[in-house]
Amino acid sequence: MTTVMLVDDSATMLMSLKSILTKAGYTVETAGHGKEAMDKLSKGVKPNLIISDVNMPQMDGITFVREARKAPGMRFTPMLMLTTESEQTKRNEAKTAGATGWLVKPVAPDQLLGVIKQVVPGA
Amino acid sequence: MSRLLRRRPASSAPTDSRVQTDVVATGLKDVPACCEVVGAHISDVIEQTGEAAASIVEQMIKVDGLAEETAANVARLAGTLGRTEAELSQATSSNDQLVDRLVRYFLYRDEQIRGLVDEMRGLRQHVAQIEEVSRATNILALNAMIEAMRAGDAGEGFAVVADEVRKLADRSNKAAHGIGSSIADLTGRLDAVLADDSSFEKDTTSVALETADTAMTRRLSGIANAQRELSELVTGVLRDTMEALQDAEQSTGALTAETTGAVGHVQFQDITRQLLEHVSDAVDQVRQATEDVIGYAEGSLPEETVRERAISVDDLRARHVMSRQRVTHGDHAGGAAAVSDDTPIIELF
Repeated sequence: MTTVMLVDDSATMLMSLKSILTKAGYTVETAGHGKEAMDKLSKGVKPNLIISDVNMPQMDGITFVREARKAPGMRFTPMLMLTTESEQTKRNEAKTAGATGWLVKPVAPDQLLGVIKQVVPGA
Repeated sequence: MSRLLRRRPASSAPTDSRVQTDVVATGLKDVPACCEVVGAHISDVIEQTGEAAASIVEQMIKVDGLAEETAANVARLAGTLGRTEAELSQATSSNDQLVDRLVRYFLYRDEQIRGLVDEMRGLRQHVAQIEEVSRATNILALNAMIEAMRAGDAGEGFAVVADEVRKLADRSNKAAHGIGSSIADLTGRLDAVLADDSSFEKDTTSVALETADTAMTRRLSGIANAQRELSELVTGVLRDTMEALQDAEQSTGALTAETTGAVGHVQFQDITRQLLEHVSDAVDQVRQATEDVIGYAEGSLPEETVRERAISVDDLRARHVMSRQRVTHGDHAGGAAAVSDDTPIIELF
C-alpha cells in the first residue's frame, strides 16, 4: 500500500486531496505545515511520496523538503511541491532543496494521479 | 481622497502649508479605519469561502460514498443475477434431458409392445393351422365313415385313414405346442415389461427420436417447448436486467469521476484565499502609509520615516506569487509583468 503525506496549511486542500488520493487507493497522512510533517517523520511515519505546499506558516515547503531529505530513509523518497507559486527562482530553490517536481495549483485529479504514477514506482 | 484634494484649489484661493497639511490629515483621517474594515471584510470572505469549500468537499465525499455503495449493491445484484442465469440455464438443460429421456422411454415401451403385437400375429397363424387340421380331420372322419360303410371287403382302407388321422393329430399337437410356447413367451415378456425397464438403459440409443411422431411424443414435445419458452423469457428478463445493471455501473462510475473532478475544483478556494490575503496585505499597507501621512501632517512622524515607509507599486508586484497576479498587475501598472508567465504547470526535475 502506497502512503502519501500531504502537507498544506489549507484544510480545504488537505480534505480534497485526501479524498482524491484515498479513492485512488492510497493511504494518506496529513500535516498542516512543514514542522508538523517533520514531527510525523521523526515519529516513524514513512511515506512513499510527499506532496507539499510551499508557502506555509512555521516551516515553509522548501525548508521542509530540505530537512526531510535528512530524515532516515527519506533520501530517495519522491517529494512534489504543489503550490500557487509560479516564480522560477522558487522552483530552482525547491530543486536544490531536493524536490522531485513542481505542480502549480489547480491540478486536475487525473493529472495529479498521473504524476504520482510517474514518480512512485509501482504506485 | 484625490477628488477632495483636487477640488479644493479650483473653488478657493491658495492656502498656506499648515492649512494644506490639515486638509490632508482630515481627508485621510478615516482611510485607516476604512482599510481595517475592508481587511475585515476580506477576512470574512476568506473564512466563509473556506467553510463553503469544506462543506462542498464533505458533501462530495458523502455523494462519493453513496455512489460507491450503490456500485457495490449493483455489483452484488449483478453477481446474484449472473448466478441465477447460470442456474436457470442448468435447470433448462436438465429439463431438456429429462424430457428427452421420457420420450426415449415411451418410445422404447412402444417398441416392446409392438413386438408383443407381432407375437400375437404369430399366434393367429398357429390358430389357422389348428383350424385347417380340424377341417381336414372332419373330412377324414367323414371318409372313415364312408369307408366303414363299405367294411368287409375294403377293411384295408381304414388302415390308410388311420394313418392320415395320426399325422393330423401329430400336426395338431405341434400347433398346440407352438401356441403354448408363444403364450408362455408372451406372458414372460409382458411380465418383464411391467416389472423391469432396466434394459431401457442399454437399448435407449437404438431409439430414433427424429422419426418418432406419436400423440405421446407430441405432448411431451409441447411440454418441453413450453418449458423452453418460459426459460427463454426468464433468460431475456435476466439479460435485460443485467444490461440495466451494467448501465447503472457505468453511471455510478461516471458519477464518482465527476465528484472527483468537482473535489479537485475546490482548489479554487485555496487560490482565492491566497489572492484575497494578498489584497488584504496591500490594503493594510495602504492603511499604514495613510497613517504615516496623517502622522506627518499632524507633526507626530518625521518626514524621513514617511519617505522610508512609502509604498510602491513595484513592491506590490514583488510580493505576487501567482502568474495570474503578475499578469493582472502588469495589465494595470505596466512593465515586464504584463507578459504572461509561460512556465509549465507540471515540471519534474
